[in-house]
Amino acid sequence: MTDVTQIRSASLLDRLDEAAIASAAPSQAELMTELRIKGRPGWTSRLPPSLAAFVTNPKGMAGVTILLAMILFSIFAPMFSEYNPHRRAGKPHVMPGYEHVLGTTRMGKDVFTQVAYGGRISLAVGFGAGIAAAVIGLGIGIAAGYFGGKIDDILTFFVNVVLVLPGLPLIIVIASLVDSAGPLVIGIVLALTGWGWPARTIRTQTLSLRTREFVLSAELMGEKKWRIIFKEIFPNMLSFFMGGLVLGTISAILAEAALSFIGLGDPNAVTWGTMLYWAQNNMALQVGAWWEIWPPAIAIMLTGAALVLVNFAVDEITNPQLKASRKIGRIKRFLKRRGRSADVF
Amino acid sequence: MIYILRRMAFYVAAFFVAVTLNFFIPRIMPGDPSARIIASFQGRLSDAQVEAIRASYGTTGSLWEQYLGYVGQVLRMDFGISTVQFPEPTSSLLFYGATWTLVLVGISITLAFLIGTMMGIHAAWNRGGFFDSVFTPLNVMLNAFTPAVVALLLFYAFSLQLQWFPLGRAHAMGLAPSFDLHFIGNVLYHATLPVLSILIVSFGGWHLGMRNVMINLLNEDFVILARAKGLSDRRVRYRYVARNAIMPQITSLALSVGFLLGGALVTEQVFNYPGLGKFTVTAIESRDYSFIQAQLLLLTMSVLVANLLSDIANVILDPRLRKG
Amino acid sequence: MSSDRALIEVRNLTVDYVGDHSIARAVNGIDFDIREGEAFGLAGESGCGKSTVAFALARLTRLPGLVSGGQVRLNGEDVLKFDKARLKAYRWNEVSFVFQSAMNALNPVISVSEQIMDVIETHEPELGQEGARARAVELFELVGIPPKRLDDFPHQFSGGMRQRICIAIALALKPKLIIMDEPTTALDVVVQRDIIEQIVDLKKRLGFSVLFITHDLGLMIEFCDRIGVMYSGELVEVAPAEAILTAPQHPYTRALGNSFPPLTGPRVRMEGIAGTPPDLRALPQGCRFAPRCPLAMDICRVDAPELRFYPEHRSQAACHLLN
Repeated sequence: MTDVTQIRSASLLDRLDEAAIASAAPSQAELMTELRIKGRPGWTSRLPPSLAAFVTNPKGMAGVTILLAMILFSIFAPMFSEYNPHRRAGKPHVMPGYEHVLGTTRMGKDVFTQVAYGGRISLAVGFGAGIAAAVIGLGIGIAAGYFGGKIDDILTFFVNVVLVLPGLPLIIVIASLVDSAGPLVIGIVLALTGWGWPARTIRTQTLSLRTREFVLSAELMGEKKWRIIFKEIFPNMLSFFMGGLVLGTISAILAEAALSFIGLGDPNAVTWGTMLYWAQNNMALQVGAWWEIWPPAIAIMLTGAALVLVNFAVDEITNPQLKASRKIGRIKRFLKRRGRSADVF
Repeated sequence: MIYILRRMAFYVAAFFVAVTLNFFIPRIMPGDPSARIIASFQGRLSDAQVEAIRASYGTTGSLWEQYLGYVGQVLRMDFGISTVQFPEPTSSLLFYGATWTLVLVGISITLAFLIGTMMGIHAAWNRGGFFDSVFTPLNVMLNAFTPAVVALLLFYAFSLQLQWFPLGRAHAMGLAPSFDLHFIGNVLYHATLPVLSILIVSFGGWHLGMRNVMINLLNEDFVILARAKGLSDRRVRYRYVARNAIMPQITSLALSVGFLLGGALVTEQVFNYPGLGKFTVTAIESRDYSFIQAQLLLLTMSVLVANLLSDIANVILDPRLRKG
Repeated sequence: MSSDRALIEVRNLTVDYVGDHSIARAVNGIDFDIREGEAFGLAGESGCGKSTVAFALARLTRLPGLVSGGQVRLNGEDVLKFDKARLKAYRWNEVSFVFQSAMNALNPVISVSEQIMDVIETHEPELGQEGARARAVELFELVGIPPKRLDDFPHQFSGGMRQRICIAIALALKPKLIIMDEPTTALDVVVQRDIIEQIVDLKKRLGFSVLFITHDLGLMIEFCDRIGVMYSGELVEVAPAEAILTAPQHPYTRALGNSFPPLTGPRVRMEGIAGTPPDLRALPQGCRFAPRCPLAMDICRVDAPELRFYPEHRSQAACHLLN
C-alpha cells in the first residue's frame, strides 16, 4: 500500500503542473454559461423531437407566424373591410388615408380590401398547388425508391421528363387554349408540373432507407409492403415532404403572379397577380400611384420570405450542420480568450 | 461515352413527350381547335389566314396520321404560318426572338451563377459568420420576390425617372447588327436593366445551393484529410471542396434553364425587349396558337441542350463517369 | 523498439460537443503519453471518445466540437496553442493521419498523384514538381503499388490498394507520429492482415510512432506496445499490451476482452456488455461504469476513481476495486 500512496502523490504532482492547471477545462455548466447555451424549454419536452426542434427554431417560427397572419388576414377579410373588392369604393387613385387605408386603384376599388381578398385566391392556389405537387412527388418518389426494378425505371423516366419540361411555357400553352385561365386551372397545371423535384429527392432518400436495418427487419418479419411504407418509410420522409411543399408553394405563388401579370389569368378574379397586372396596365407607377403596386407586391414578397424562412428551418432540422448558428462565433471567442488560435471548421 | 449516349437517348425521348403533349393538348380540349381559334378572331381574319390555321392543325385523316404529320412538321422545323405577322412563317419570328432572349438569359444566368456560387463558397467557409447569418437568408428571400415588381421598379427608377437607360428595344433603332464594339456595347447598354432584374431574383438560389453542398462536403474524410495535410486554406477550399460541390450545381443550372427562360417573359414584357417572351405575350393576346406551341418546343429543346451540356461538363469534371 | 522518451504528452484533455441546448463532454480530462517509436492503442466501444481524442491531437476538432481544456504537448510546446504558421508546419510534418475508409479519404475527382504531391509541394516547395513526383514514386514503391498507376483516380483502385495509397500519403513527409483511426475496419480479413503486416514492417524501418484506434481489441493487442482503454470519455486503464491481454485490471477492460473473439486460439463465446454507456450530457456521479459493472460497490456510485499506477500490475487503472 505504501507504494500506492507514493504513486498517488506523484500523480498529484503531475496534476499540479502549472500549465495544465492554467488550461483546465470549465465544467459543463460553466461552459454552457460562457457559450450562452440555454437548456431546452420545458414545455417542448412532450412534443416529438422534430416538432420540438421546429418550434424552438427562430427562423421557422418567424416564418410560420407571418404565414398564419397572412392566412388569417385573408380568411377574415370581411372583418377588416366593409368594401367589396370587385366594386368601385371611391374616387380613382385616392391616396392612402383614413377612408382608404391603402388608397384606391384607378377603377376606384379599395386596395386594402383587394389585398385581403386577393390573398384568399393567391394563397389557395399557392398552397393547393404546393401541397398537391408534394403529395404526388411523395407517392411517386417512395414507389420508385421502394419497389425498384422496372417500376423505378418507368417512374424515374417520368420524373426526369417533368424536370426538363419547362413548366411556365407549358402552362402558357394550356392557359392560352382555355378562354381565360382561372386560378383553378393555373393551380392544377402548376401541381401537375411541379412534382419533379420532391419526387427526385424522396426517391433518393427512400433508396438509402430501404437498405437500413429497421426496414429489412420489418420485411423479414413478413410485414405487408404498404404497412412498411406507411410505418417505416413515410415518417422519415416528412422533412423532405415539407421542403418540397414549401418550395412548391413559393414557385406556385410566383408563377400565378407571373401568369396573371402577363395577362393570362382571369382579369376579373382578384388575386395579387391580377392586381399587379391592372397596376401595370393603369401605369400606376408612371402616374405616381405607388399604393396601387406596392401592397400586392409586398404581400407576395412577405409570403415568399416567410416560406423561405420555414424552408431554412426544415433544412436545419434535417441537417443541423447547415445552421448558421451564433454559437460558432462564441466557440471561436472562447478559444481566443484562452490564447488558442480559432482554427475551427 | 456510353453515359452520354444514354443521356442523349433520354433527351430524344423527353423531346417526343413534349411534342406529343403539344399535339394532344389542343385536341383534348372540347371542340375543333382550328375552329375555336378562328372563331376567337370574330371574323377579323382573311381567307388566307383561315386557311393557314386550318393547315397547321391538319385536321384531316385519322388521329395517328395527324400525329405523324405533326411530328414530321416539327422535325422540319416547320411551325406553320404566323397569324399575327401574316404571312411570315412562325419559325423566323421564333428564332429572331430566341436570339435576344438567349442574350438576356445567357448573360444573367452566367452572372447569377458566378456571383451566387462565389457567395455560397464564402458563406460556407465562414459558416455562422456575419456574412453567412445575414446575407444567406436575405439573398434567398430575394429569390422569392416577384420578378415583375423588381423589373417594374428598375424600369420606373432608371428608365423613366433618371433616364439612364433606354425605354425598350434590344439596340438603338437604325443600328445595323454587326460584330463591332459599338453595336455590342449598344446591345449591352439595352440589356443592362433586364439582366439586372433577372439577376436580382436568381442569384440567391445558387448562393444557398453552393453553401449547403459545401457544408455537407466539409464532413467528408477527404476534406478533413486535406486540412490535416496542412494545405493552404485556399487549396482546400477550391480544390477539395468547391471542386466537388460545383458538379451538382451544374446539374441544377441546366435544370433551371427552363424556369429562367419562362421567367424572362415578364422581364421582356416590362422592358419592351424583343425576345421570345415579348412575342409570346403578343401571340397570347392575338391567339397565335402555332407560335405558342412552337415556343414550348423551342424552350424544351433549349433545356435539353443545356442538360446535355451539363452532362458533358460533369463527365469532364468527374472521372467516375468516364469509365462506363 | 520504443524508447521511454515521450513524443506527445496529453494532459487533462477535455473535448465537448456543443449542442443547441446542451453540452456533451465527449472526452473528460484524460492524460496519457505516446512515446517515441511506440504503437499506442486506444480501445473502447464506439462513442467512447477515442476518435475525438485522435482528432484533437491532430488539431482537427470540427464544429460543434470544442477542445475546452487541457494540453497536447510536443517537445514542451502546446499544440493547442499553435498559431497558423506553426500549425501548418505541425500538420503532416509531425503528425499524419490514416482514416477508416480509404474511399472517402481520397477525393474521388482528383488524381492520386495530385493528392500525394500537393502535400509534398506545400511543405517542401524547394523540391519542385519534379522532386515531388520522384518522392511520390518512391512512396508508391514503398507500399507496393506500381508507380505507373500514380495518375489514376481513386475509384480505379481496390479497397486494399486505396488504403495503401493513404498510408503512402501519410508517410510522405516522414512524420514522427501517424494516427490510424480504424485503418482496416472497412477491409476484408485477408487484406486486413496484409495491411497490418505492412504497417509493422514500415514502422520497423522508419521508426515512427503510431496512435492506433480500433474497436478490435485482439488486433490491437497484437499490434500495439501499450493500450489505453476508454469508457465514456475517460481512460479507465493504460497498460502494456500483454498486461491487457493477460491481466486486465479494470472490470471494463475484462468485459471488453470478452466481447471480442481472439484472433488466435479457440473461439470463445462472445459476451456483450449489458447496458449502454451513460448520456454524456448528464453524467452520473461516481464511476461512469458503475451502472453496468458487475462488481460495483457502494463507493463506486458516489466517488469517481482516479487513474493511478499500480506497479505490481504494471498498469494504470481507475477503479476502487484495486485499492
